[in-house]
Amino acid sequence: MSQNSTLKEKYPPGDFGVWIIIYVELITFGLFFIGYAFSRRANIEMFNHSQLMLETTSGFINTLLLVTSSYFVVKAVTSIQNMPHDRREEFNKKASKWLLLAMLFGAGFLVNKIFEFSYIFGEGITLSTNKFFMFYLLLTGFHFMHVLLGSVILFNIFQKTRIYGYTVEDHKGIVSGAAYWHMVDFLWIVLFPLVYIIR
Amino acid sequence: MKRILEIVWIILVGLTVFAYLLGHLHYINSFFVAILLLTTFIKVQLVLDYFMELKNVTGKYRWIPSIWLTIVISLIAVAYYLPVSSTH
Repeated sequence: MSQNSTLKEKYPPGDFGVWIIIYVELITFGLFFIGYAFSRRANIEMFNHSQLMLETTSGFINTLLLVTSSYFVVKAVTSIQNMPHDRREEFNKKASKWLLLAMLFGAGFLVNKIFEFSYIFGEGITLSTNKFFMFYLLLTGFHFMHVLLGSVILFNIFQKTRIYGYTVEDHKGIVSGAAYWHMVDFLWIVLFPLVYIIR
Repeated sequence: MKRILEIVWIILVGLTVFAYLLGHLHYINSFFVAILLLTTFIKVQLVLDYFMELKNVTGKYRWIPSIWLTIVISLIAVAYYLPVSSTH
């Protein structure tokens, strides 16, 4: 074994339980993405025409919001990881500020998505309108639920930083929650071009 | 590199802006779709490596999400590029 590989961790960061959840989510969303791509082949014209009804700018703003929110979460995690032993309060406070920003951007995503959904539903579109909108509503609706759950997780982590609950030795909770939030982020990174742009 | 997280964030934002601009083209040809899929792959891999810290992990747990990503992006490409058979 090389010296480099001995420096690396054997298991992914955080609680392994969250990684099991992440793997299950990858399979679920992966099947949805592939299902969308192959269903499109059966009716390319209809998919392309329906896609024009989506507001690309809304999807673009939401991508920026999630990517930036993810960055804020990493900053919170690194604040805790790099905390000197005698400055626990200061570095937990620092992490809580980053988490607050991350939650605000996550909330921005949810609000923007609610506006997008209300426009779509206002146009009389439902799951049974056509296959494109069935996939669009299922994929983005399912993802919306994950952002909602991720926001609850971030709020719990935030609460713990407010009572200076994380130490250099014990911060698995924040790392696990962050991993879930990043998963929500990268699923959207695939979803955005697939559903909003590729035609 | 001290500012690696900021660099990763800038790349993610830059590639997102690029994808958005491509989305405004009336006709997106096959070449642009290939570029779009490649940039999507890069973006997710950056999140996996630097935000989720998987670059510090060895063995199968380092590669499971990357293998998932490769399969998903490849199959999307197959679905896009495979000629659609005509029944006429």
